Amino acid sequence: MGPMLEVKGLNKSFGGLRAIRDVDFAVREGEIRGLIGPNGSGKSTFFNLLSGVYAVDSGTVVFDGRDLTNSEPHEVAAAGIARTFQLLRMFTEMTVLENVMIGYHNHVKYGALAGVFGFGRVASEEKIIRDEMMEVLAFIGLEDFASIPASELSIGQRRLLALGRAMAMKPKLLLLDEPAAGLSPVNVDNIMLIILRMKEKFNLTVVIVEHILKVVMETCDRISVLDHGVKIAEGVPSEIRDDEAVVEAYLGREMDDEEVKRAISA
Amino acid sequence: MKKSLNCLVIAGVLAAGSAWAGEIRIGATMRMISENGQKYGEMMQDEFAAINESGGINGHTVKLILLNDECKSDKGVANANKFAYQDNVHLIIGSTCSSVSLPIVDVTAQAEVPQIIPHSTNDQITRKNSAWVFRVPISSRYYKGVVSKYLHDKVGDQIAYVYASDAAAMSETQGLIQQMRDVYGVEPVYEAQTQEKEIDFRSHLVTIKDLNPDAIFFGGLQEPIARFLVQSYEVGIPASVVRAAGSAASNAPVPKLAGDAVKGVFFSAAYSDSDDRPIAQLFNSYVRSRYGIKGVDHDFSQAYDLIRIVEIALGNADLSLEDDDLAADRTAIRDAIANVQGYEGLASGPISFCADPTPECRDGNRTPVLIQYLEGGEDFKVGILDRVTMPVEFGL
Amino acid sequence: MLTLIDGIEAFIGRLKAIHPLLPWLVALLLLLPVPHFTANNYQVYLINFICIMIILATGLNIVKGFAGQVTVGHVALYAIGAYTSAVLSTKFGMPFYVNLPVSILAAMIFGVLVGLPSFRLEGAYLALATLAFAQAVEVYIRVTNYLGAASGIGGIKPPEFFGFTLRNYDEYYYLVMPIMLLAVYASFAILRSATGRAFMAVREDPISAASMGVNVRRYKLIAFVMSAFYAGLAGSLYAHMLPGYVHPNNFTVIEMVTVLLMVVLGGIGNIWGGIIGAIIVTIVADITREYYFYQLLLFGAVIVGTVLFMPKGIGGIIDRYFVNRRFVAARELTAVAKRGVVGSASREE
Repeated sequence: MGPMLEVKGLNKSFGGLRAIRDVDFAVREGEIRGLIGPNGSGKSTFFNLLSGVYAVDSGTVVFDGRDLTNSEPHEVAAAGIARTFQLLRMFTEMTVLENVMIGYHNHVKYGALAGVFGFGRVASEEKIIRDEMMEVLAFIGLEDFASIPASELSIGQRRLLALGRAMAMKPKLLLLDEPAAGLSPVNVDNIMLIILRMKEKFNLTVVIVEHILKVVMETCDRISVLDHGVKIAEGVPSEIRDDEAVVEAYLGREMDDEEVKRAISA
Repeated sequence: MKKSLNCLVIAGVLAAGSAWAGEIRIGATMRMISENGQKYGEMMQDEFAAINESGGINGHTVKLILLNDECKSDKGVANANKFAYQDNVHLIIGSTCSSVSLPIVDVTAQAEVPQIIPHSTNDQITRKNSAWVFRVPISSRYYKGVVSKYLHDKVGDQIAYVYASDAAAMSETQGLIQQMRDVYGVEPVYEAQTQEKEIDFRSHLVTIKDLNPDAIFFGGLQEPIARFLVQSYEVGIPASVVRAAGSAASNAPVPKLAGDAVKGVFFSAAYSDSDDRPIAQLFNSYVRSRYGIKGVDHDFSQAYDLIRIVEIALGNADLSLEDDDLAADRTAIRDAIANVQGYEGLASGPISFCADPTPECRDGNRTPVLIQYLEGGEDFKVGILDRVTMPVEFGL
Repeated sequence: MLTLIDGIEAFIGRLKAIHPLLPWLVALLLLLPVPHFTANNYQVYLINFICIMIILATGLNIVKGFAGQVTVGHVALYAIGAYTSAVLSTKFGMPFYVNLPVSILAAMIFGVLVGLPSFRLEGAYLALATLAFAQAVEVYIRVTNYLGAASGIGGIKPPEFFGFTLRNYDEYYYLVMPIMLLAVYASFAILRSATGRAFMAVREDPISAASMGVNVRRYKLIAFVMSAFYAGLAGSLYAHMLPGYVHPNNFTVIEMVTVLLMVVLGGIGNIWGGIIGAIIVTIVADITREYYFYQLLLFGAVIVGTVLFMPKGIGGIIDRYFVNRRFVAARELTAVAKRGVVGSASREE
């Protein structure tokens, strides 16, 4: 069986800056893939290309046998790819429950205007949606906050809600853009635990962009490394840990040797 | 000053000192967004205050409720409804815009409140055949008639028309064209409508020049008229081509802006501040000194005539002014206005109403004047070219 | 005041438990005798006008408050609704029950036109594009003889049903009030469904919404067309109300500002707020009728003041009260908040 997600020869430039250069990238079903690289190496751009937020210059994105190259973001979502954002992008004025319900949007069976009959079929389906979404909130531990606006949540709760929104989409592939950014170590562990449980429970394939290398090294099956928009390495964590180019090009620049060692061996 | 003015008009005004004195409520809705608009609102208040000071009407005081409709029909309709049902007025004055007076006619007809119009020319207003409506200004059907008659009799039938896209200009010009067609069987040699805020009319004028017409008619507001006149000489249309303009040409800025280009231009009007009748001269200097208005136009003269007519009618009406008799009082006032005959004031000719709910009876003023500019510039001079009382059924 | 709100909420909740439509039925029954409690005809006229303004403001709230699209073209759609009815009634002699749906349809078609720029523009740029549309409509009406140009169209016939004509404001109330209630109900129902959630998501963060499967352009367009539905409905009702007269002066930027004030003061994105705003603004405009010189100044100041000090309007304050209550409840329920730990993963372990 071929890979679930297969990206070939992807290129993207912004003006004179080549943000992504000839990147090939393939993820097997059920895999947890880490995507790392220094600031500005193109990780977020790569995610934006996969999820249709940016249009690609050249190259192809095939997911589950479907060509998703330059699809609209909502088409990508409908195909079964959910993503989270580094900057969260919560719907802050909406309640926590409504935030999760947006994730369920593509699974709603009634039409856009059927809601005018706020009783009968629509009401019964709304009830099913509500119950199902409350389960999602229970899973991430936010069920008590269901009816308050997302703006009232702490940063950690928002990171959880981001996972909940993705979960509500019932995706096959989950793209997580720094899911633990800004969290305290205890909370980082918490959130990684939830991600792993989500993966198991829903049989997900996951791609994680993360800055905290310890997390990536511990959690991921395989790791890909981007530098200046070029994929410079790919392999299991131990291979990446020993890869000269990675340590040189990526880790060396940001930390001194001691920190590198601590980060990798942690 | 004011006293002598009051004496000039025939008015049945005397403090009769009746045993019981009530309050006559009058609601006025007018366009009071321009400076002039505010001033004639003020004038209306002052005039009624003066009536009250001199003892009221048959001992009754007049309470004037003045509202602005901004020349918007929904506001005017709301004002009229408020007057009719909430303030329980005996008489409604309004409005100064045809587009507001028109819908109010339906409101007053349903509420059965007399309505007297200070300034709206649209001929449809009286064609609704409401028994409750009276019009002091001249209906557009008479205006059209007097200009077309003059052009046909004294100038010629080859006429070019250009008009701006405001309400008054459009109905005035199109009515004139219609009149020439219907009465004299003449088609325009040129007809064009300018865009809102268009200031260069030379493309029209060059075409007109080549057509060599007997006359050019321009309908528009004061500034476009002035520009049009100046530009007509710039493109070389000779002075021998008669230039006529819409009634807005009566406004003082026109000769100032147009300078010598205004010479010979004539227009029809209800009133001109060049009117040399003593009453007009007196009125002009009065308005100028009291309200700081330089060019006293028909807005003022008609408001003034209206107040005098109201004063006469109220004086002749037998009013109880008890709450229970509101409907009867309203009917009495209506009938009293309908009985005003041959009122002579600032209007060029006598104003008469009658009881039938028809345009013939309710378009009381049918004497437009044709006024011609003799000199342009700051100290412009005008003369009265013609003064024609139209037959009552004209234009129906 | 707060206990009153609580009481009303509890009462509505109890009715809803019996049937979702029951609160609306109760509202209808409560509103039916209103004309008999008014002091005079003028007040009935005002109430009818308020009903029309509620419909108009609700429409604007859908597109601006819920979908977050800054449009200044709403009054132009209102004008299109009114003029469609005016033309159908006076030139083709069509009855009200034909004119109403056709006017709505016409407004909806133009709603698509107003909505299209929203695919590429947002914020002030979208406002400018829609303003251009509004101006174009107003000027077009002003210069088109067929549409009465600057003389307006009069003589629009009052609605007639089975030989019974709605000849006065009292009778018209029984047409316009139920329609208003129905329109408000529909907006509530739709906005509480997945569609309303999609609107809000598009407003809050279009990129995030799209990534979660919301077709952003589709929902922007639905919002514009829905709001156009309301504008067309309001326009047709306005045209057919006595004295049955429409004029371009009634559909200018000033009217747009007035409707905007209703929505802003009442609370952007809050249907109840918009309704409260429509009521307050119409009544205040009426009370201040005699201070006409200062009215626009007052309206402008209120808009600025609301945006600065009360960005969510009156509805926002009421909402805030409920949110606070829920938040306190949530806090009491969970010890997690106190510990400052994000999730309940540890609790579930």
